[in-house]
Amino acid sequence: MLRVIKEITLEVFQAILPLTLGVLAINFMFIRMPAPVLIQFIFGAVMVIGGMILFLLGVRLGILPMGEAVGSELPKRRFVPYILAVAFLVGFSVTVAEPDVMVLSDQVNTVSGGSISNTLLVGVIAIGVGFFVAAAILRIILGFPITYMLAAGYTAIIILSFFTPPEFVPVAFDAGGVTTGPVTVPVILALGIGFSSVLAGRSTLGDGFGLIGLASIGPVIGVMLMGVILY
Amino acid sequence: MTGLDLFQGFGDTVSTVLKSIVPIVTFFVIFQLIYLRLPWRYLARIFFGVGIAVAGIALFLQGVKTGFYPAGSEIGTFLGAIRLKWLLIPFGVLMGFLATFGEPAVRVLGYQVEKASGGSIRRSLVLYGISFGVALFVGLGMARIVWGIPLNYIVIPGYILAIILMFASDKTAVSIAFDSGGVATGPMAVTFLLAVAVGITSSIEGRDPVVDGFGLISLIALAPILFIMLAGLYLKIRLKRRGEQNGNG
Repeated sequence: MLRVIKEITLEVFQAILPLTLGVLAINFMFIRMPAPVLIQFIFGAVMVIGGMILFLLGVRLGILPMGEAVGSELPKRRFVPYILAVAFLVGFSVTVAEPDVMVLSDQVNTVSGGSISNTLLVGVIAIGVGFFVAAAILRIILGFPITYMLAAGYTAIIILSFFTPPEFVPVAFDAGGVTTGPVTVPVILALGIGFSSVLAGRSTLGDGFGLIGLASIGPVIGVMLMGVILY
Repeated sequence: MTGLDLFQGFGDTVSTVLKSIVPIVTFFVIFQLIYLRLPWRYLARIFFGVGIAVAGIALFLQGVKTGFYPAGSEIGTFLGAIRLKWLLIPFGVLMGFLATFGEPAVRVLGYQVEKASGGSIRRSLVLYGISFGVALFVGLGMARIVWGIPLNYIVIPGYILAIILMFASDKTAVSIAFDSGGVATGPMAVTFLLAVAVGITSSIEGRDPVVDGFGLISLIALAPILFIMLAGLYLKIRLKRRGEQNGNG
């Protein structure tokens, strides 16, 4: 336990400190932010570091075991629609809890002056992830090559991007990036690896990997469709 | 802004976080009641963990809102107002590098690739390759903001290149590459760089924050995908060449 805390603390400092120091250096050399903004930035960085440490610890203690418990139960049932429904729900609920998704939707909501609502965006991103996690599990069951599925997903994105209103395109592409965060990745990976290790005749390495890549296609397509439908 | 308001709107943050955790907890509880029936002690540990995670996300988001957004938009506004706009590009390159080089997930990926390639792709190559790749792409992202280039013009060719590389690469390389798309989109990239980008667009005339401010994250996600597949191809070609040499000699 103590070792885990130490590990996590080190990780968080490594991730946050370089850019924080870079910003401070830039501030003192060129920009000179107003003092309250600067002080809030420093306190903010401390809160972000503390928050990340607590959060990652909580993921290890609570959220990851929840995902694993569900993931190991899943392949025991042989009823495909049930498996796919559970895969969808795991993908969906894990994405709703992803901090990076909250940050993006919050920013979009603020910048767009409330015209793209927080809840709607998070919902669409989560449905996209859920749908593609289910599709990825179906792929493992059918033994369909991952390359074709990735290529099909990316081609669909390219085609859709021509029909999407310009103000939705950047948000859509960004939505694909934020879903691969600290909650989603371990839970979805655990689900995929646990699942393909139970199915006989599938190589764990080749089948378990690729899930995250597929999962991040969903939100892009989802947000683009939302743009097409709404405008 | 007068004085410090670190905990302004903290109630909203907490309620957002609590709402976000409802689906996964509900789902788990239903599963527990119907199938899992895990022992109470284990359950207590899980819920303790969830509680810590909730407190952590709330603190994190609050720090981002009160610390990173204002500073990010301050820096962005300053950068958007400078006369030599091209200076934004080296700034983007530096920020992209700093955000990625420290990211623990990139180091984990480096280790994973070193193992998968039997040691022929060193983890330091992965770390530097992805860091410079992301740096370059954030630089491109800044150039896009400065000259108002639509995101499509950069992302679509990138995606097409990714599809082409996909068919030339091994299956394992493809899977690792696409899974690694998210390694560099860590908390700093998503929170701070996004705020800077939005700040810049708000102070350059004719830029729309929604259209021009977003998009950086997708570029940061594209860099590792392309890099890992290129490294895999390089390895494949080298192995093939070595095989031919051995065959001749």
